[in-house]
Amino acid sequence: MSELALEIKGLRKAFPKVVAVDGLDLEVRKGEVFGLLGPNGAGKTTTLEMVEGLQQPDTGEIRVMGLDWKKHAQEIRTRIGVQLQATSLFNKIKPREALDLIGGYYPKRRGTEELLDLVQLQEKADAYHITLSGGQMQRLALALALVNDPELVFLDEPTTGLDPQARRSLWDVVRRMKAEGRTVVLTTHYMDEAETLCDRLAIIDHGRVIATGTPASLIADLGLPSVVELSFDGEAPDPTPFAARLGFAVEAREDRWEIPAADPKSLLPRLLEAAEATGTIYQQVHIRRATLEDVFLHRTGRSLRD
Amino acid sequence: MNNGKLLWRQFLMEWTLYSRDRGAMFWTFLFPVLMLLGFGVIFRGGDAPKMPVAWVQPAVMQVKDQAMLDALAQFPSKLEAMTPAEAEAKWQKGETAVQLEPTPDGFHMKVNSYLIAQGQMTAQVVQQAFLMAQAKLGGQPLPKLIPVSVESPGHAHETNYAAFLLPGLLGLNLMSMGLFAVGMVIVSYREKGKFRRLAVTPLPKWVFLLGQIMHRLTVVLLQSAVLILVGALAFHIHNQGSYFLLSLVMALGTACFMALGFALTSFAETSETYGAISNLVFFPLMFLSGVYFTLDAAPKWLQTAVVVLPLSPFLKALRAVFNDGSGLQGQMLGLGIVAAWTLIFFGIAVKRFRWA
Repeated sequence: MSELALEIKGLRKAFPKVVAVDGLDLEVRKGEVFGLLGPNGAGKTTTLEMVEGLQQPDTGEIRVMGLDWKKHAQEIRTRIGVQLQATSLFNKIKPREALDLIGGYYPKRRGTEELLDLVQLQEKADAYHITLSGGQMQRLALALALVNDPELVFLDEPTTGLDPQARRSLWDVVRRMKAEGRTVVLTTHYMDEAETLCDRLAIIDHGRVIATGTPASLIADLGLPSVVELSFDGEAPDPTPFAARLGFAVEAREDRWEIPAADPKSLLPRLLEAAEATGTIYQQVHIRRATLEDVFLHRTGRSLRD
Repeated sequence: MNNGKLLWRQFLMEWTLYSRDRGAMFWTFLFPVLMLLGFGVIFRGGDAPKMPVAWVQPAVMQVKDQAMLDALAQFPSKLEAMTPAEAEAKWQKGETAVQLEPTPDGFHMKVNSYLIAQGQMTAQVVQQAFLMAQAKLGGQPLPKLIPVSVESPGHAHETNYAAFLLPGLLGLNLMSMGLFAVGMVIVSYREKGKFRRLAVTPLPKWVFLLGQIMHRLTVVLLQSAVLILVGALAFHIHNQGSYFLLSLVMALGTACFMALGFALTSFAETSETYGAISNLVFFPLMFLSGVYFTLDAAPKWLQTAVVVLPLSPFLKALRAVFNDGSGLQGQMLGLGIVAAWTLIFFGIAVKRFRWA
């Protein structure tokens, strides 16, 4: 038995107008929560769909718990749990029926009532699928992903479109999966979700992995643990004269300037002086810890939200 | 903006959106042309199509018979002379629309109840020829018409013409169910991603497909039962044969056309394309089945080729049971063809079916 839950080498998938996945390598260890972080269109979903057997890669190798899709497709399917980005079920199926039906496809299955309790869907268990709210549909999709007691669970943007409370309760379910010894691979474009939930992450852009590591190590690798932000009323002005005076790189973002800094305390007096000298009228100065957003920005020059 | 401009912009936008819908473009412009070309090529003969008449050769040719033949030659008819045995064999296969038989003192004409539209047109022509022949012979002071009987290939007579329509209706209904209803649902579900959730499970495709077919099969049988019941109560149309054989033939036909529908779904990405493909299959199957008119005017190769198509043997078996009350002895080859198509279609469906 391999120690890796998932192993991807040189994965590539091109569509008529775009190369969605372009030579992607990845290793996920057993028992960890692994995040694929990247902006929309980075190739996260396409990657996941190839791993789940929904799409054929053009080239590259995928091993799921050491198994190859070409030879062991049915065994892989019985051992993985999948939450699709949009789980579109038949309009008039009820959650309880859906869990019973899909659970019946597997040799090993968890009880429908237990799953309904887990995702807190008991009160909607006998309502038509089409009448469920977005959050309830998402929770049902999560329960369906767990119906076969899977070793490896794939969650594609599990919290997109959910309110903060629903997100938190979903995070709890993911933490419980990890506590039960399952491996979880999830995609997200929320950096807070990636930071709080994932043991390790791969940052993906343009169909490639541009960085891998724990959230803490990825931020530490930046070498710039803090960011000083100057915010403006309206759009941020051209920072060139200010940056020249300060002697540090300054990045303008919408309504603020960001100055990555190793030691923000010693930077502050010089910053105030430079603002005075260049006649910069800012609203607020704010010092914050660097986040995965900054890691992404630093590596790609773009924001996750772009 | 004034309303005139508004109207113009609305009109242009409708055209723009319409021109981007490839399915609609196909249906409006290409499909009718394709049909025209297809039928044009098949039925081009130079002259207007001649109406086929089966002429049962009398043992002794009388003067009135020769006069009739001469008169018929003036009309766009195509006489096919045959012995009584040959005529009967062709009649029982359901391939004769009108059969003309000299009797000692006149003629008798039989019109196939299933090809009634074509048959009645032909019968009128024969009647006119008969009037002409009588005038020429000059012996009859008051012209007469040939007595006509409407019969099925199994020689069932029925004063209620609707009785002959019912099996055809049942058959056509289940073919369109299989091709349009079921196939369209599958394609639109696939389009909306409703099968993706199933695709990541170990559910075998054939179980899913066969489950679908079994469900639709029972729906169609129930639906047919309702039609038969209403036919019996409202119009006193009764199944002349065994209900068991009728269900058997219906089930086989349903399975065949459902499997065809499923097989076709794998060639269409969108419901628009599916509409195009299924119609492209449906219309030729219907027109070339020989069910609504005989194919005597078509080239020989086509007449040979269409023998293996599944609609015609299926409807023939259905009508043989329902209207003629006969067993399936004479239908075995035809039903074998239908069964073979069912297996082929199902094989293609399972092999090519995609969840997403």
